[in-house]
Amino acid sequence: MSTVVSFLVGVLVGLAGLGIVVLSRRAGTARTRRDLGTEAEQVTYETLHTAWSAAPPLRAGLSQDTARKAARHLRGLLRAPALAITDGEHRLAWDGTADQHADAAVALAATAFRTGKVSVLGPDRVACADPSCTLRYAVAAPIAVEGEVQAVLTAYSAEESAGLARAAAEVARWASGQLELAELDRSKARLIEAEVRALRAQISPHFIYNSLTAIASFVRTDPARARNLLLEFADFTRYSFRRHGEFTTLAEELNSIDQYLNLERARFGERLSVTLQISPEVLPVAVPFLCLQPLVENAVQHGMEDRADGCHITILAQDGGSEALISVEDDGAGMDPEACRRMLSGKGDAGGGIALGNIDERLRQVYGHEYGLVVETALGAGTKVKLRVPKHRVGVHAT
Amino acid sequence: MTPRPRRVAVTRQTVRTGSSGAGFRVAAEIDDDTELGDTYMRALMGAQLRLGLLVCLTVCGALAALPIAFELFPALGAASLFGLRVPWLLLGVVVFPVLVAGAWLYVRQAERNERRFVATVDATVDEGDQP
Amino acid sequence: MNSTYSVIAVAIVVTATVLIGANGLRLSRTTSDFYVASRTVSPWWNASAIGGEYLSAASFLGVAGLIFAYGADMLWFAVGYTAGYLVLLTLVAAPLRRSGAYTLPDFAEERLASVPVRRIASLLTVGIGWLYLLPQLQGAGLTLYTVTGLSPLVGAVAVAVVVVVNVMAGGMRSITIVQAVQFWLKLAAITIPMVFLLLAWQHDGAPTPTGPTPPAFTERTTVRVNSAVTVRVNEPVRVTVTGVVDGHRLRESPVRLSTGTHRIDQGTSVTFSAGAVVPQVTSIPATTGDQWALPLSGTSGDHSLYVVYSLIVATFLGVMGLPHVIVRFYTNPNGWAARRTTVVLLVLLGVFYVQLPLYGMFGRLYTPELLMTGRTDATILLLPARLIGGIGGDLLSALVAGGAFAAFLSTASGLTVAVAGVISRNTLRRFGITGFRVAAVGAMTVPLAMTLVSSRLSVADVVGLAFAVAASSLCPLVVLGIWWRRLTSVGAAAGMTVGGGLALTAGLLTLVGAAQPGWWMDLLRWPAAWTVPIGFAVMIGVSLATPGSTPPGVARLMARLHAPESLGLRSTADREEAAQ
Repeated sequence: MSTVVSFLVGVLVGLAGLGIVVLSRRAGTARTRRDLGTEAEQVTYETLHTAWSAAPPLRAGLSQDTARKAARHLRGLLRAPALAITDGEHRLAWDGTADQHADAAVALAATAFRTGKVSVLGPDRVACADPSCTLRYAVAAPIAVEGEVQAVLTAYSAEESAGLARAAAEVARWASGQLELAELDRSKARLIEAEVRALRAQISPHFIYNSLTAIASFVRTDPARARNLLLEFADFTRYSFRRHGEFTTLAEELNSIDQYLNLERARFGERLSVTLQISPEVLPVAVPFLCLQPLVENAVQHGMEDRADGCHITILAQDGGSEALISVEDDGAGMDPEACRRMLSGKGDAGGGIALGNIDERLRQVYGHEYGLVVETALGAGTKVKLRVPKHRVGVHAT
Repeated sequence: MTPRPRRVAVTRQTVRTGSSGAGFRVAAEIDDDTELGDTYMRALMGAQLRLGLLVCLTVCGALAALPIAFELFPALGAASLFGLRVPWLLLGVVVFPVLVAGAWLYVRQAERNERRFVATVDATVDEGDQP
Repeated sequence: MNSTYSVIAVAIVVTATVLIGANGLRLSRTTSDFYVASRTVSPWWNASAIGGEYLSAASFLGVAGLIFAYGADMLWFAVGYTAGYLVLLTLVAAPLRRSGAYTLPDFAEERLASVPVRRIASLLTVGIGWLYLLPQLQGAGLTLYTVTGLSPLVGAVAVAVVVVVNVMAGGMRSITIVQAVQFWLKLAAITIPMVFLLLAWQHDGAPTPTGPTPPAFTERTTVRVNSAVTVRVNEPVRVTVTGVVDGHRLRESPVRLSTGTHRIDQGTSVTFSAGAVVPQVTSIPATTGDQWALPLSGTSGDHSLYVVYSLIVATFLGVMGLPHVIVRFYTNPNGWAARRTTVVLLVLLGVFYVQLPLYGMFGRLYTPELLMTGRTDATILLLPARLIGGIGGDLLSALVAGGAFAAFLSTASGLTVAVAGVISRNTLRRFGITGFRVAAVGAMTVPLAMTLVSSRLSVADVVGLAFAVAASSLCPLVVLGIWWRRLTSVGAAAGMTVGGGLALTAGLLTLVGAAQPGWWMDLLRWPAAWTVPIGFAVMIGVSLATPGSTPPGVARLMARLHAPESLGLRSTADREEAAQ
């Protein structure tokens, strides 16, 4: 009896095993065929991948540094022994063997640069005296941004090759596209800068009027205070209009906010109460200029409108390890979350709407999308705007 | 009717230098990566490096010479001064005030170097518009 | 010794840490005279905070224990731990602050504009942090064991859990004031007992441990061995044993321990009569008082001179690479404040470290039994009760225990925050604060696992390894990055990898016991003397060989690092504006 049982068990196990093997083979082949692709497809994937690797340097614009980084990948794309990128006067990059040709690259590219058309050069122009050097032909393809030739890509080879000429032309056209995107990036940055200036212009006149009125009310009753307020006002406007770079220290920004709040308190008196909790460890952090002050102004405006009993504003700046955690909170009217979302996306209406969207955009531009503003709000529930700023980011320095 | 005088076309004559005012001339050179700015910077760096190495190597070198001294002169290691063995006196007590003194002298001189650098930079400024 | 007070002191310290970490310090202002800019941290506060985080288990207990066990050569630890800051001051402090970097990987990225270099620096920072965390946990375990008798693992796990919970609950704020207060607490915990110990010592006739004999029990002493040890007896001695010695189970039996090694099992009590020479654990060679007081007397092996120099190189150059130290320099508002903070710090450290040789000496006089159990690190904890006795001694011991625990918690917190910050910045950035919390758990798990696995790693060895790795990899990066224009990213990467890798390998081989005695073992155990020059050489050589990978804009960067703050260099945006 036991032999029969063991025989049956063995058969069952064998069938199960066989089934598993067959199923996995079937699943395996389906995956293989669908995922990995034929050889031609693989070559395409590799080409696209290499092209994508060359994109980031060019996206930053054309310079010696970016050209050098891109040249390596572009040469890989073309499978050429050597590749040069030149602008009208200088050689920006050389990649590959035989750098004795490097100095002549600018001259070889001259025709392509002038005419804006692909030019092919033969051994009479390219070959050098060294018999072991294999570079005898070259294809120079212009890279044009918005119709204007900015650089020339020169690919070298051992033999005359129409394929290489075609490939070089396509690669140059692709590089042009990347550089045009870089131009767009720069335009976007300039636009934001213009918005910052508009931001300054938008907030100041209203504020100037109110502050001067408030100060005037103290001139007779408390002249010393009026004088102090005037000096604070002068300091504050000087900070706003000062010509300096994009970044300032959190200490200076908070200083300006402090002056602003003094001036607003002169106007509103006891109705405006403010709590500041500042950790000294985050004071040296470099923050974008005017990233905090407009938020405080918004808070005061929202807090004080329609409320006779005044409002309370809390400003927190805390150390968060490698970041500074800042928040501005008011217990005023609050906002409709949908309206707030529209403002952050830049679709808000003027009159307090620009600040949120602009600051959010600038923070994301400088630090990345993880560092956008977070606004907690609801109608009637007040508003809290939270920012995070990393303590260090390459290229970010307060002046 | 007297003929009207002919108008003369006028444009702004001076060329903008791009300077934002007093105190920034040499700083502008440093900013603009020119040869002149580089020279200033190298001078300061050289002075600070020499000072740093001088203090560091003097103090640390003196300390680092002690093991060899103890190796070569065992009597030094066994001697006593003020009731304490010399190695313990030097390494357990004397070394700390020496480190503090070296540090303080370094900071004083380094700040002096920097103040002199700033004074030199500002001294080469033309009168420009006040900031 | 009545350890109730000590337990209470430890409990108070732990509770205070957790409370402050969870709630932060509420320093709010509602008045109108709040001038924010003047609230930057003054050099005294910042230096106290750095000192508070820097004075770790190794400083607090370890150095005194080492001096007690091995003698004059171990003085170099205290000297090195302090002198490293002079090197930092003269070569690194102000420029590093001006670079705006928060951590050393930040500096690497700023200076070399290369992400791979930042990643290597991050890996090394995390590794050094882990190596430095390990002795904190061990020290905590030892303290709790000495005070309460609980297994050392309990203390280690307790500190690990408290720190991680604290950090996760928002304790990632590196509150300067809290750390500063911790420093002064530690200083008090060391100084106040020292005053009383000195008085008691004077009262005792001010004996010194120098002399032609090895340490001996001054009175009839019973030593309880809580983990198995192998001791070497140089002179036959009569003892009374309850427990297991050399495999023989005995009970209140008089035994004559002959010359040679003997194995004493866990839980054994051995009673010595007054004047009996202390049999020392085999890892601590027995020396006479005179030998102990002599430098280079071979207590650290046959190649004392090499060991001392390796120690000097590692500590002098390794301080600048410690992760939790560098981040505190960021709090200074500018380069000048960074320099002044370092000077103040040297004063504070000097006041602290000058007392440790005294503790070592007292240990040799009054707690010689620790030479038998091998746990010489516990000497500071035991001395007050031993020498002063009574309730005063218990209170002082409680003070020391509290201070020791404060040391572990603050250093472990600082390291965990620094390491977790580096981990989350590199890998978990998308997740924000949650990522940081996860990283904090990870930052603590590895050292804790290492503690549980390796029961008797020498604290000094692990700390020395951390310094050696820092000195061989991060020191060249920072020094060359600040002063040498031709440093390239390839060179930096190569130098860090080779220097740090060699030091790490050498250390790990030693820790797993793969080293054979002789020159080889000393070279591996104290690698800094050869790994640091190799690190520098590789970095310089590879940089010279790859001139193409120098990042652009080096001159501007150098200007920013070295130009004094009052000069006011403009930024790029301003120059573009002026050019339009």
